[in-house]
Amino acid sequence: MACPGCGAAIAMRLLLKGLGEKAIFAIPACCWTIIAGPFPYTALKVPVLHTAFETGGAVASGIRAALDMKGDTETRVVTWAGDGGTFDIGLQALSGAAERNEDILYVCYDNEAYMNTGVQSSSATPYGAWTTTTPVPTAKRSRKKDIIGILAAHGIPYAATASIAYPEDLICKVRKAVSIRGTRFLHIYATCPTGWKAPSETSVRLARLAVRTRIFPLYEVEDGERFTITLEPDLCGIDEYCKAQGRFHHLGPEDMKRIQEDVDRNWRRLNVLAGKC
Amino acid sequence: MRPHYQDKVAPCSEACPAGEDIARIEHLVREGALEEAWRRIREENPFPGVCGRVCPHPCESACNRGEFDEPVSINSIERHLADFAWNKGLVASTIATPASGKRVSVVGAGPAGLAAACFLRRLGHEVDLYDAREEAGGMLRYAIPEYRLPREVVAWEVGLVLSEGVRFHPGRRLGQDLAWEELSGFDAVFLALGAWTPSALGVDGQDLSRDGLELLEAVRRGRHPRVEGAVAVIGGGDTAIDVARTVLRLGADPVIYYRRRREDMPALSAEVLEAAEEGIPILTLLAPERIEAGAEGMLRLVLAPMLSVAAEGGGRAQVLPAGAPPVKVDVTAVFTAIGAKPSSGVPNDTVKSSRSEAAGFHIRRLVPGEPGAGRPPVFLGGDLVNDERTVAMAIASGKEAAIAIDAELKGVDLEEIWSAVRVGRKGSVSMNCLAGGDRSLRRNHVVRFEQLNTAYFRYQTREEHRRILSAVRRVRFDEVKKPVPTAWAGREASRCFHCGLCDRCDNCHVFCPDVSVLKNLRDGSRQIDYDHCKGCGVCVTECPGSAMVLDEEPR
Amino acid sequence: MRRVLEGSFAVSHAVELARVGVISAYPITPQTHIVELLAEFVASGRMNAKYLRVESEFSAMAAVIGSASCGVRSFTATSSHGLALMHELLHWTSGARLPIVMAEVNRALGPGWNIWADQTDSLSQRDTGWIQLYCENVQEVFDTMLVAYKLAETVSLPVMVAMDAFFLSHTCEPMDLLSQSDVDGFLPPWRPVEILDTTDPKSFHSLSPPDYYMEFRHKIQRAMEEALAAYVEIDAEYGRRFGRSYGICEVVPAEEGARSSMALVTTGSVTGTARAALAELAREGKKVDLVKLKLFRPFPQEEIRKVLAPYSRVAVLDRNLSFGSGGIFAQEIRAALGGLEHRPVVYSFVAGLGGRDITPETIASVVDRAVREACPADILWVDLRE
Repeated sequence: MACPGCGAAIAMRLLLKGLGEKAIFAIPACCWTIIAGPFPYTALKVPVLHTAFETGGAVASGIRAALDMKGDTETRVVTWAGDGGTFDIGLQALSGAAERNEDILYVCYDNEAYMNTGVQSSSATPYGAWTTTTPVPTAKRSRKKDIIGILAAHGIPYAATASIAYPEDLICKVRKAVSIRGTRFLHIYATCPTGWKAPSETSVRLARLAVRTRIFPLYEVEDGERFTITLEPDLCGIDEYCKAQGRFHHLGPEDMKRIQEDVDRNWRRLNVLAGKC
Repeated sequence: MRPHYQDKVAPCSEACPAGEDIARIEHLVREGALEEAWRRIREENPFPGVCGRVCPHPCESACNRGEFDEPVSINSIERHLADFAWNKGLVASTIATPASGKRVSVVGAGPAGLAAACFLRRLGHEVDLYDAREEAGGMLRYAIPEYRLPREVVAWEVGLVLSEGVRFHPGRRLGQDLAWEELSGFDAVFLALGAWTPSALGVDGQDLSRDGLELLEAVRRGRHPRVEGAVAVIGGGDTAIDVARTVLRLGADPVIYYRRRREDMPALSAEVLEAAEEGIPILTLLAPERIEAGAEGMLRLVLAPMLSVAAEGGGRAQVLPAGAPPVKVDVTAVFTAIGAKPSSGVPNDTVKSSRSEAAGFHIRRLVPGEPGAGRPPVFLGGDLVNDERTVAMAIASGKEAAIAIDAELKGVDLEEIWSAVRVGRKGSVSMNCLAGGDRSLRRNHVVRFEQLNTAYFRYQTREEHRRILSAVRRVRFDEVKKPVPTAWAGREASRCFHCGLCDRCDNCHVFCPDVSVLKNLRDGSRQIDYDHCKGCGVCVTECPGSAMVLDEEPR
Repeated sequence: MRRVLEGSFAVSHAVELARVGVISAYPITPQTHIVELLAEFVASGRMNAKYLRVESEFSAMAAVIGSASCGVRSFTATSSHGLALMHELLHWTSGARLPIVMAEVNRALGPGWNIWADQTDSLSQRDTGWIQLYCENVQEVFDTMLVAYKLAETVSLPVMVAMDAFFLSHTCEPMDLLSQSDVDGFLPPWRPVEILDTTDPKSFHSLSPPDYYMEFRHKIQRAMEEALAAYVEIDAEYGRRFGRSYGICEVVPAEEGARSSMALVTTGSVTGTARAALAELAREGKKVDLVKLKLFRPFPQEEIRKVLAPYSRVAVLDRNLSFGSGGIFAQEIRAALGGLEHRPVVYSFVAGLGGRDITPETIASVVDRAVREACPADILWVDLRE
């Protein structure tokens, strides 16, 4: 039931490839609530508990506790949430779970707005983007939240970014995450052609450009302090990325300059953290 | 919108006069299926060993990889496959086509004639192949020097062609030992006599000069004429280079003189470079004025300095006398290699005159009613008609002739045949298409670089074909280019984008958001589940080689 | 075993004896003692359970939704604002048919901040599909917790056990603590129908279009209706085993074997005061029967009609208020009686909000006013400072 070219659908497929069938999913309100299909059908071959919007981290904690009580330490517990249910309304439950170092894999597929409800801005929406609640000329003035930074500050054993355009890197990270106990977080960049106003066939291409422009660097953080950049991309200017999406069409040279500066600054910062300077 | 798998044509195949299925061949090499790759070449070109050594490789100039980093070393890979087949003692595939009962004569056993003979046999016709000389091969056997094309390679590949059932009649020169009347008894005739007649220098004392081509032939026949001291070679084409380098190996000191600029030389730049490496000076913008006999058998060559003048409107630059005093050199011999004319046996004006007409891109046909024309149909090809006188073009002629003759003998409309067998739009044709093989399923659209998705390829510099040391080269006729190691060929082949062909990379299957690209695990084929496909087009965009298309759904 | 325990600790002990597997805890006065003692039980190893220190009440409910969905008996506790914050998930739990039991300490809602007894919090949630049981004393709290689990697991609906802030949560009373074997005999392990299971994967609570939703809701209502009968049965069983049962409501006549013309309906801890006050009034000749209501959801329409119809006047004591409407118990009782041809006049008294004391004198004044006034206003405020 996804839109044509849905990045979130690709993300789920890739996640499941790395995860296997011994997993239980908690899915708070997000696009996948719909994509999974209406009762009495389901698109997934793993058990799924659909839950309320803000509860992703908490429900997973409960499932984990129950499985441990039943002596099942093999089945993996996964929260699969969108950016809204992670960065905003779900942040508290995620933070609580991370603080307790709950043994769950929290995966946020990020399409950079509340897409399921019609493209409203979230704190994952990047600077300058059009959304229905940040219409031009009030396009988003604040930056995207650094969710990995937030989770690194919690000191969880593993946090990483991934992009649907780099399936090997993504699946590698899933496998690595699965081999660790404690709270593990994956932030997957998932194109939304519908909400970003881009042609459906460019879905993977945009996810690749996001990495190449360093707007969405691919890296991991272990125990909140060891940063590793997992892909050094062929650098590409942000122009190609922004021009390909209607949500950025109104941006002028000043905005582009600012975005490029932010991207460059963030990349330098990451390199310092990764001990590369 | 609906996606589906649709193989297309790679630009290398279009550029290859023989229309080889290069994208597929490189794929096979990458997979380690070397024998299959070799046979795939021979389906369209019976001379990979020859071409892999002497072809100017227009495929590499057209290679899309060239816009990414550097073209794939297609030529060297072809050489490797031929060497592999030879080392393994592979033989030509047997022909399954039933005999047509028709007889075709082919006059001239150079690459054009041999190719025509080969393909005609595969189409089921009987072939009688005639040549003026004792062995088949034409320029391959009797002109191109050993250090570029070893005799054994020619002998082996010629032997493979003849082994496909061609009756070879050596020592039969048209107009001397072979009469037109004898040819009239056949159902069709193909004349591929080549261009062996030297052009005259057109200056005083031209009789004192010697034909470069004749020298090459003498050397190829095992006769090593005495040449020593300073020698002048006039000309700027591959023949001139060959002559100069041959003279060098005979122990003399050649200098090449060319009337135009270095960049105007028609010779392959690789050849020019090798000559320079061997220490042969190339002096440009000098045109011969006259040759004078000197003392003790020496010759004095007088050359006029020339000036290159850019043409108005950006045409070919002209050379005019510079007005400077002439240059005089004392040499023991002057060899000319300034172009050859079509061989005798066919009236010279037949080729480009109204007495023949174009019958394809690389062949002509005698117009009925003219002398020598009428039943049977007579086709002309190879250096006899081609502007570009390369082996590959000759093979193209031979193939077209075979197809045209086959159509003629079956009473089929040739125009329809051409549109079915064309590879791209530059005149290459495919035997595989003629037979309704897998290539006939491809859309005849040539994939441009912009249509590829190069995100899945890494930069990797091209391996250059290694050559033996220049110092060694100067004194021996050993083959200059070294054999290509298998690993090297594999590496190069994996740089190929396989433009227009599905190479089972799985991107479509991995990226489909609707899990609608299904893989058959047994045979690896792919199928689209149209019930669930939403036509988003991600598969088509992420296909690295542009092997898919997105069409509007039929109503 | 005879113990002197405050209500909170009685809850903790009941949770331990019920062999709860997962506890989620977020602190709010005056529920804190419940979760603190449970933390000690788990930390010391005497209780085999997972204790989740969640970071808010909605996470507390979300966590037990997760654990109950895997078939493990679960518990949480809250009060007032915490319950309000859980509101969305209260709907979710009943919609998900999860037999979660929650101890709810009735405390006032702010602003202004008030930590004392008030029933508005739990009553505001009466539409959420939770079974609601109210308790008079510490013993009843303990007993009701155990009954709640059995009831919840029988009808697959969540149960809220309500007790007044401080009057019950922090007041020590002598009570009987059952033994583990006693409880095991009464409350067997939970056998859930459908759970999250990788060997039989299913999706729960997905998108439910109009074609299906109404039937789901109908089933919940049916379960509520079954809960009424189930409660009575389970309560009776508890009584047979352990000598204590409470029924849907308890009638205490002013005079043995007779029926007065007026009844006073109470819930929660004030019932204890009312017993004493009405006994005193009866000695003075003012006969008023006490009706203690325990089961509020499902609302026992039949029982209420049966019990109250014979009275000419019914005074309802609400320690709660629905703004723009009135005392909630009174409202529901009026509605239950509305269809009767001969129905009592219902006096809705709002008293004790935010923990204001309801003394025997208060009760006396309530009775007085109910006697004097013929046509009562919709709300009769008690002890309001002018």
